Amino acid sequence: MVALMVTVAVAGCRKKDTVSDPAAAANKVAIRSIQLFYGSPNQLLASEPRNVSLPESPAAAIPLVMRELVKGPVGQGSLRILPEDTVVRGAWLLPGGTVIVDLGGPTLSSGWGTGSHQELLAIQSLVQTATTNFADAQRVRILVNGTQTETLGGHVALSRSFAPRSDSVGTR
Amino acid sequence: MKRLLSLGSLFALALLVASLVFAQDSGQATLQTPTGTHPFTFVQQADQLYVSAHEVTQGLGGTITPDSTGFKITIGNATAAFGPDSRYGVIRDELIEMPVPPITIEGRPFVPWQFFQGFLGTAAAMDVRWDAAAKSLVVSPAQRSAIAVQASVANIQGISKLVLTLSAAGEYTIDSQPGSMLVRFRAPVRAPFTEQSYDDPHVARITFAGSDVRIQLTGANVVGDAYQLQNPPRVVIDFRKGTAPLPGQTVPLTPQPQSHSPGIRTIVIDPGHGGKEVGAVGPNGMLEKDLTLTFARKLAESLSRQIGARVILTRDDDSLVSLDQRTAIANQYQADLFLSVHLNAAVVAHAKGSETYFLSLEASDELARKAAETENASQSDAGSDLKLILWDLAQQAYLDESSRFAQAIQEELNAATSIANRGVKQAPFKVLIGATMPAALVEIGFISNPEEEAKLQTSEFQDSMVAAMTRAIERYKNDYETRIGVIKPAPAASTTAAGSSAPAAAPAPAPQTRMDR
Repeated sequence: MVALMVTVAVAGCRKKDTVSDPAAAANKVAIRSIQLFYGSPNQLLASEPRNVSLPESPAAAIPLVMRELVKGPVGQGSLRILPEDTVVRGAWLLPGGTVIVDLGGPTLSSGWGTGSHQELLAIQSLVQTATTNFADAQRVRILVNGTQTETLGGHVALSRSFAPRSDSVGTR
Repeated sequence: MKRLLSLGSLFALALLVASLVFAQDSGQATLQTPTGTHPFTFVQQADQLYVSAHEVTQGLGGTITPDSTGFKITIGNATAAFGPDSRYGVIRDELIEMPVPPITIEGRPFVPWQFFQGFLGTAAAMDVRWDAAAKSLVVSPAQRSAIAVQASVANIQGISKLVLTLSAAGEYTIDSQPGSMLVRFRAPVRAPFTEQSYDDPHVARITFAGSDVRIQLTGANVVGDAYQLQNPPRVVIDFRKGTAPLPGQTVPLTPQPQSHSPGIRTIVIDPGHGGKEVGAVGPNGMLEKDLTLTFARKLAESLSRQIGARVILTRDDDSLVSLDQRTAIANQYQADLFLSVHLNAAVVAHAKGSETYFLSLEASDELARKAAETENASQSDAGSDLKLILWDLAQQAYLDESSRFAQAIQEELNAATSIANRGVKQAPFKVLIGATMPAALVEIGFISNPEEEAKLQTSEFQDSMVAAMTRAIERYKNDYETRIGVIKPAPAASTTAAGSSAPAAAPAPAPQTRMDR
């Protein structure tokens, strides 16, 4: 009986894996240059280059890039848009170009008191960062704490995904 | 040797534990569809059943395609996708939520069976359920008579308003007991939740069970007045303190007043935020929710006085009103205009000026609309979720008028004040989405800017902005009523930003600045 269960367990452990197997094969980690989008003095977004150690697979790299974004800017003149305590719980790039970003953190969980201008820029900072760094990414769907939440700050509906808006990006 | 035996025992024990956690059951199951049965492989781990994505897809007559980020499944003209490690799939712009991410076994993806439930429920109005006893995944047409219900509760001026928004009109009865009320639908109900509690003076809890919606009240002395509205169909119950009903008393439904003359007769002004949702906070501590209420009250009074419209505020105190409820109030009163009043904030302290928004047609909204139209054409009595999608897009029919309305607001604000013009813009604001009338959202100024924060608090500035918005609404009203023929254009009448002269309009109802019932 024990032998049978052990056999089953061996089979289970050998067989079980995630669907990321094909991507994992090409998952070489290297320092890569990415663009992160933050606020700028002209009230639009501007990109900030950063070199980050990332796997080659977009599926594996995208959560790391989004987490790099919420660490905040380091460049002169770049301004943090998302609340400082924001965390990226997960990010996934799905076939067809939809990126799902699951945010969390005390401020977003308890209700972010902000204006629509900052809220729209915060959403676009996620969208621009995802779509600029990943060729397959076309739009971003935002969740908060793993659930489909109405808004980030009381204004902009999160019930649909967001495409990049060129009018949200300026030059520094 | 002993050590080796000991290590071996530990390894076997670990595998034994693993076997209890994982791979508890696997084998062949049957996919039952309206057209036949098909075998497929399943794996059960703990409480979760995974099904072979390839085999179930093939059984449904579809195809599955791998790519670098996951898999696409196409069945009929609908395509869904799922990816590695994500418990969310996507179909069009709708999420398919799975309890856990998919797994692979010997290179083949196995998805939680709920993936197909979400896929077929959204794409084909089909129900999918797992029959554990028969080891069958059963696919059947969704109960077409089922009504999807959304529930919202808001306390407005001391009265708690429960709105049950229905995906389709249906018969129901309402029975009252001291301390509770029961709405019983004749058709099956698709519930938004099983039970939800409310921090409300009259409504304590709502429970969905079968075709019943039970409303637990905060006391035996809470009574409800019920009435129904159309487009979309809604059951509305206003709760207040009163004489307790007799047990089992049936609540009479008040018919909806149907007469609605053309023109701008009813205007809903929505003071942004409220209650614990304070909105933006100024550098010197001013709260957006307080200033929006001040502006909205002044605007309501001005509109009643100047143009004789019936004006309704979505809140007239510091109460929390959900975004859906704000729009629902405007729809309920069959408002002809909806204006949400806000103050802006930015990380840049010098950001200043006013801007006016109307709803944007996001690419994804357009995708959803086209898909909904396609399905609507092919299935005239399709699943009720489809109608909810269309309800989400209700404002789209009014975008042209909303654009004109927003333009009028922005131009008058520009003309009246020295505040910077940031223009008319579009964004997917939640509060505008379900409005079935021309609707706009105005950001009067930046509360995050110390200079504007100070200016926004002065009566002089408030009055000038209120006067500008009043002129804009009067101007839009005259323009609209002229275009639809309610009033004849007066040759000499001005419709410019500075003009307040107006052609003679049809008599307006008595002004009101509070919710009337």
